[in-house]
Amino acid sequence: MTNPAPAAANPAEAGSGPPLAKPDTSPPLANPDIGPPLAAWDIGKTFGAEDGRPVEIIRSISFSLARGEIVSIVGPSGCGKTTLLNMVCGLLAPTRGSVFWHGRELAGVPARAGYMLQKDLLFPWRTALQNILLGLQVKGLGRAARQARAEALLDRLGLAGFAQYYPSALSGGMRQRVALARTLAPDPEVLLLDEPFSALDFQTKLLIEQDTARLVRGEGRSLLLITHDVEEAVSLSDRVIVLSHRPCTVVAEHRIDLPGDRLDMIAARESPEFAQYVRRIWTELDIR
Amino acid sequence: MSRQAVASDAASLPGGTGARSARRVLARRTTRQVLAVQVLLIVVLLALWEEATRHSPANAFLFGAPSAIAFHLATMLRDGSVWTDLSVTGLETLAGFALGNLLGTAIGLALWFSRFVSRVLQPFILALGSIPIVALAPIVIIWFGTGFASKLAMATLSVVVVALVISYKGATGVDPDQINLMRSLGARRGQIFRLLVLPASLTDIFAGLKLTGGFALVGAIVGEFMSSSVGLGHAIFKAGSLYIISKVMAELSVTVVLALVLSAAVSRVERWLLPWRHDLQ
Ligand SMILES: Nc1ncnc2c1ncn2[C@@H]1O[C@H](COP(=O)(O)OP(=O)(O)OP(=O)(O)O)[C@@H](O)[C@H]1O
Ligand SMILES: [Mg+2]
Repeated sequence: MTNPAPAAANPAEAGSGPPLAKPDTSPPLANPDIGPPLAAWDIGKTFGAEDGRPVEIIRSISFSLARGEIVSIVGPSGCGKTTLLNMVCGLLAPTRGSVFWHGRELAGVPARAGYMLQKDLLFPWRTALQNILLGLQVKGLGRAARQARAEALLDRLGLAGFAQYYPSALSGGMRQRVALARTLAPDPEVLLLDEPFSALDFQTKLLIEQDTARLVRGEGRSLLLITHDVEEAVSLSDRVIVLSHRPCTVVAEHRIDLPGDRLDMIAARESPEFAQYVRRIWTELDIR
Repeated sequence: MSRQAVASDAASLPGGTGARSARRVLARRTTRQVLAVQVLLIVVLLALWEEATRHSPANAFLFGAPSAIAFHLATMLRDGSVWTDLSVTGLETLAGFALGNLLGTAIGLALWFSRFVSRVLQPFILALGSIPIVALAPIVIIWFGTGFASKLAMATLSVVVVALVISYKGATGVDPDQINLMRSLGARRGQIFRLLVLPASLTDIFAGLKLTGGFALVGAIVGEFMSSSVGLGHAIFKAGSLYIISKVMAELSVTVVLALVLSAAVSRVERWLLPWRHDLQ
């Protein structure tokens, strides 16, 4: 088991306050080097505790995500991966433990996180371009600046001719690309993706994975990827975290060392180590 | 590389030009066929009706006759009474429709902001919705008199609860994942409402508008039944009291035309306001 970013994963420190964070008063964004961008310490979730029939979904999970790192989380269906992501993103409060962004305990929704699901969640009344602009509009960026950013993104994701299309006129792969562009538009430093590509056909998936790797590694972002697809996890990530059935805990953690620049998904899949990682993770997944 | 994928995606978009024009021709043809059959159906029914009443005065008295209806329609058109009645009832309906939907939709959408308030109000709204509005007519006349105001009130009352319930359903039916997406982007409640909930509810709101057009008309006509000196409801009531069935039918057909015009207008506005609904275009 590897543990490259020890900040939050160290019980001794976490008990006494936010990991690595000195009690300073500057806003977190002004000081982005405090702690890893994202860390979760001993978080757990029990649903239904109020009405007397508690169901423990997540027992205890700790992990961290370093700057520029891609970490995948794989686990059996229904083990609580989406729940975990919602807690990390401040959309759901954990019943125990804490989430840290840059060494500060999360309050509310993190400022520079990009959240994306398997459902593209495009607004059907907005064109592709307007959908991409959503985050920037919420953040109150000026019209001209918004437009320029969105068009650059459309270009980079190969959607240049489709800016004025409504989602209903786009194919599934293109819709997911638009969703990715919408996620990237506000310039998030951490991407939180929940099975974003699982509804796509194999070829589209490889291409969009490749674009994702490029857009994450090339620009110093971090990516937490939740996926069912072990091969996707291994080919894309620096680390893979394997979760157990409910109540969910961390079964194993693998540092993935593959040859090459890690931007070519097909090359990654061809190396012998790839098959070994995949086989190991499959056995750990304990599919019942 | 990704551009290639997109290009191949584009080829499989719905309706390349060839397929699309072929489909459009087909659609136009079936539309014409449907229309032809509809006209034929009406003609046959009217002919049967006319035939059945021609040789039996009792039947003609009880059920009216197409020829007599046509005669009454022509008379109404000639003396201009149809226009007076139509404009009075039309105005009452339109005003009630607008006021009721405005109030109902505003309250229904506003309730999205507070689960607590909407839970408090729920039984009252349901109770209000289950009152047969017709039964309110006598009270409404007492409160608002026998003129325009009472018809407006009747039309508004017929609309308001339905509009409220439908728009509330629309607002609260928004995909929670979309709400989460907005929250993850740092959106405040007002932004979530303006950028997501309101536009997402438009589909339901328009469904409500289509439904309540008819309700407003019924409300206005019931108001006219109770007490009035002009309007389609008044004319129907008068002709009915005098047992002139064909005149009742003639006035009814004018009422139906009014209802159809209203619903067509709503559909037109919907197509214009919701350009992204390709199923409407
Ligand atoms: N609000 C809730 N109240 C009660 N139970 C919930 C709630 N949300 C999720 N659950 C339960 O928690 C469990 C885990 O759900 P979650 O969606 O996190 O799983 P998942 O690992 O993402 O599954 P999948 O791989 O199918 O996407 C499920 O059994 C679900 O029924
Ligand atoms: Mg899930």
